[in-house]
Amino acid sequence: MKTGNALTIRGLRKTFTLSHSGSASLKTALLWWKKKKVEKLEVLRGLDLDVRHGECVALVGRNGAGKSTLLSLISKIYKPTSGEIVVDGRIAPLLELGAGFHPDLTGLENILYNGMILGLTRKEVNARMQAIVDFAELQSHIDSPVRAYSSGMMARLGFSIAAHVDADILIVDEVLAVGDYAFEKKCYDYIDEFRNGGGTILFVSHNADAVRRVADRVVWLAGGEVRMDGDVEEVLGEYLAAGENR
Amino acid sequence: MLADLKELWRFRELLWAMVERELRIRYKNSALGFLWSLLNPLVTVAVMWMVFTFIMGSNTDNYSAYILAAYLPFLFFNMSLMDSSQSVLVSLQVVKKVYFPREILPIASVISNFIHFVLALGVFFVFLLGVWVMNGFGISPFTWKLLVLPLLLVPFLALVMGFSLMLSALNVFYEDVKYILSVVLYLLFFVSPVMYFSETVKASASKFANGDLIYTVYHLNPISTWITAFRKVLVPEGKIEVIQNGVAVKVGPDPFNYPMVAVACLTSFGMLVFGYWLFNRMKWRFVERP
Repeated sequence: MKTGNALTIRGLRKTFTLSHSGSASLKTALLWWKKKKVEKLEVLRGLDLDVRHGECVALVGRNGAGKSTLLSLISKIYKPTSGEIVVDGRIAPLLELGAGFHPDLTGLENILYNGMILGLTRKEVNARMQAIVDFAELQSHIDSPVRAYSSGMMARLGFSIAAHVDADILIVDEVLAVGDYAFEKKCYDYIDEFRNGGGTILFVSHNADAVRRVADRVVWLAGGEVRMDGDVEEVLGEYLAAGENR
Repeated sequence: MLADLKELWRFRELLWAMVERELRIRYKNSALGFLWSLLNPLVTVAVMWMVFTFIMGSNTDNYSAYILAAYLPFLFFNMSLMDSSQSVLVSLQVVKKVYFPREILPIASVISNFIHFVLALGVFFVFLLGVWVMNGFGISPFTWKLLVLPLLLVPFLALVMGFSLMLSALNVFYEDVKYILSVVLYLLFFVSPVMYFSETVKASASKFANGDLIYTVYHLNPISTWITAFRKVLVPEGKIEVIQNGVAVKVGPDPFNYPMVAVACLTSFGMLVFGYWLFNRMKWRFVERP
């Protein structure tokens, strides 16, 4: 089992450029060329965060607090405006289940490409193929094109692939509330197992019960900074109270 | 840029899987599959051949082979640019959710088109064989010159790759790129010696006082040089009919133009470096597209 920090974040800033034109075209570029009064949106303002190996941290905060931006930055989707993120281990981002699926390919083919996008080699994916199919409970549908899948089936397959990449750190953005009750239970069982194996989890949830169920530390983000960081009940209590009083 | 190359190498397995996926998706729902990509050039060349030999009465040897030898590389250029310019934009939903080197998308597009091109060249040789047999075994079309072919394919691929990387990045921010591109490619077809010959251009340019200069400038378009080079290597030498002083005469084909090919090599690899540099400069902003 690894020790020390899984994630070390120092002075993390992310600024987005807001566009009022709403479209990407040459016309827009020419029209707005003179009035280069672009508006900047500071989503994260110098955030510091340490997550130790084996910890399960829940991020809470209102919409626009920067939770999803933070997860995307850790998953290398964005480049930080400034500051640094040091990751120790392999990350499995679960920002959207089944994001990389191609509708015309079969379930099996999608497992291969998705697994490889998540950083596995072809050999590794093939070795896990059966386990992924079994976990997703898609036995009879795995050879049909993914466009014929229901959204629940798609999410199950997406979760199943991410669950089998042998990650050290799971990055989860509100994706556990998918599928039926039985599958949800399976996901939580998997997460328990993952944590018992020493895995690190960073997740965003608006569901207080889900937070109590898995997290052992809560970080409250507000206005792009850490408002409060600590014990689950303590931080969650303050956060929920602040929500009621606003 | 070196760090980016290293990262790309780390993800090479994904690149191959993406190439395989592109090839698979393209013909997934069509009955004739790969035949479609051959049917297009064959039909186009058949039409051009009929128009030029029967309607306009051109009298060039191996005319159909000459056109096909030029049209296949042109089509590769055309298809690669059309496909790859869209490659990042259509995958933007994935790009927003998962990390992988973004350049894999246009590169996979180009490579899958390149595989088609090489397969089409295979069919071209079957075609040459057919023409040779029908003409009663004249001069064999299969000469040592064919060994030079890989030396043409590599820089040509570099040129296509460079343009593709550039266009795929620009198209994320300016969706006009695809419209401009289709117009430019259409014009390029007429500007480049696909239906006619570099010898035709030379004969027509000689009417002017500075004809040599016009001819040289014409060949600064790397496509012109590459297409002519492909012709010289792929098709057995035959006389070409050109118009000189208003009279149709048949001239021998010009020799392989080494200095021009050397210049085209420089332009092509330069384009590759520029395209890759530009792509890497822009790739982190793809997800922040307005």
